[in-house]
Amino acid sequence: MRVEHLFNKNTHSWMVMGRDEDRRKEVIDTNQYLIQHNGRGLLLDPGGVENFSVVAAEFSKHFDLADVEAVFASHQDPDVISSLPLWIQTNPNLLVYMPKIWVSFITHFGVKIENIRPIPDEGGLITLGGHDLEVIPQHYLHSSGCLSIYDPQAKILFSGDIGAALLPDDYTDLFVTDFAEHTKYMEYFHRRWMPSNTAKLRWIAEVRKRDVDMLCPQHGAIFKGEDVDKFLTWFENLDVGSGWSGVR
Amino acid sequence: MSENIYTRKIGEEYDTVFRQCVSLNTELHKLVPLAKQMHLLSSNAVSSAARAGTEGDAFRVLTQDIQLLGDDVSHCIDDTQKVISEIVMLASGLASSFSNYMIYTDLLNRLDIDAMKTSPKFFEKGQKHVVDDIRENNHRLSRCIGILANLLSPVATLVKKGEYLAVCSSVEAASAGEHGVSFEAVATMLRALVSQLGKQSARQRSLLRDLSEAMERQQQNQRNLMYAR
Repeated sequence: MRVEHLFNKNTHSWMVMGRDEDRRKEVIDTNQYLIQHNGRGLLLDPGGVENFSVVAAEFSKHFDLADVEAVFASHQDPDVISSLPLWIQTNPNLLVYMPKIWVSFITHFGVKIENIRPIPDEGGLITLGGHDLEVIPQHYLHSSGCLSIYDPQAKILFSGDIGAALLPDDYTDLFVTDFAEHTKYMEYFHRRWMPSNTAKLRWIAEVRKRDVDMLCPQHGAIFKGEDVDKFLTWFENLDVGSGWSGVR
Repeated sequence: MSENIYTRKIGEEYDTVFRQCVSLNTELHKLVPLAKQMHLLSSNAVSSAARAGTEGDAFRVLTQDIQLLGDDVSHCIDDTQKVISEIVMLASGLASSFSNYMIYTDLLNRLDIDAMKTSPKFFEKGQKHVVDDIRENNHRLSRCIGILANLLSPVATLVKKGEYLAVCSSVEAASAGEHGVSFEAVATMLRALVSQLGKQSARQRSLLRDLSEAMERQQQNQRNLMYAR
């Protein structure tokens, strides 16, 4: 298990937790992120029910989780959000930001509507401890209701499944170390899970309007510095929606 | 007994309770065609009584009783099905709550108290909510099983009533001579249906008894685990 600060300045920080070597092997590895601002916390894609205890125990070493006021779900998948009932059972006042179209689906996890703050298709802002985070639409990448988060202060973009990689078990780095080599872990994932080239180009154009130092996916390694732009160019040129041989 | 043994036992018992709920549900569903056959039989009884003409007055009275018997069985089935659906839901909800309880236990065991910024009390509060849910759902499950037992208890009386009706129908059919031939067929069919109802009712009572016992075992082990902490 790795936990690292991605950004830590004054009262603002980003932390990532990933590479859980003790997880059951049939469960995909996920990265969980915790943003803190002025003592308030926001958890991004807190993960599945399988890793709730690990995530909560690890982040507890660094932050008082009683001060986490909200959870952000980039989309509806179980590896993203099936731990939600446990987080809410722990803190019944927890807010849950999620794409509007998934509200009536995620409530199937047993989440009450009072906890939910639906985010409209066009995105918007989430304010954490007085600091605004931008919510950027990334619909159809891969889910039909999907959102990224951009933090203008830390210059970090949380990209959900975009940039995800299916890494081998012995890959322990949290960051991409060799971009060219790394593409082999990403290509199938993006071809297979991302269905829309149009949505892809639109999202890339939105991201390029921003100053991004780190691009943080929910699976795999984090891109930083030049690798962010390398990733955007690689993704731009990839024909997505082509991962099934039947449509090649 | 160690916590692990309790945990394993409770896991197995949840499985047993759930499987027994499903078996009972399946068994209760078998009553549906039986009730339909009883309604069909009462229609046959009406025609037989009509065919007997003026000799069929006693048949008409028996026909009404057969119809009432069919209605009683149908009502009993409707009510039990509502309750058994709730029982299956509660049993599956309990299994899921218990799994959440174990996740919290795992989390509390992982917490390194000296290196913590979050108080364990924060998570204990979450676990307490789960325990409260389990307690409440166990209580509801016990109550539903009691209701189901009450709903099924008149079936034995209905069986007796049906047997008595079948005997009366045979006697009346015999005394009506050739006018009673088709009503004798009704009596024979009624006897067969009532016998089937009796067998199913006995099987349901036995399943319900097993379910209650499994519930009690599971609740006892759960109490041992939760209150031993």
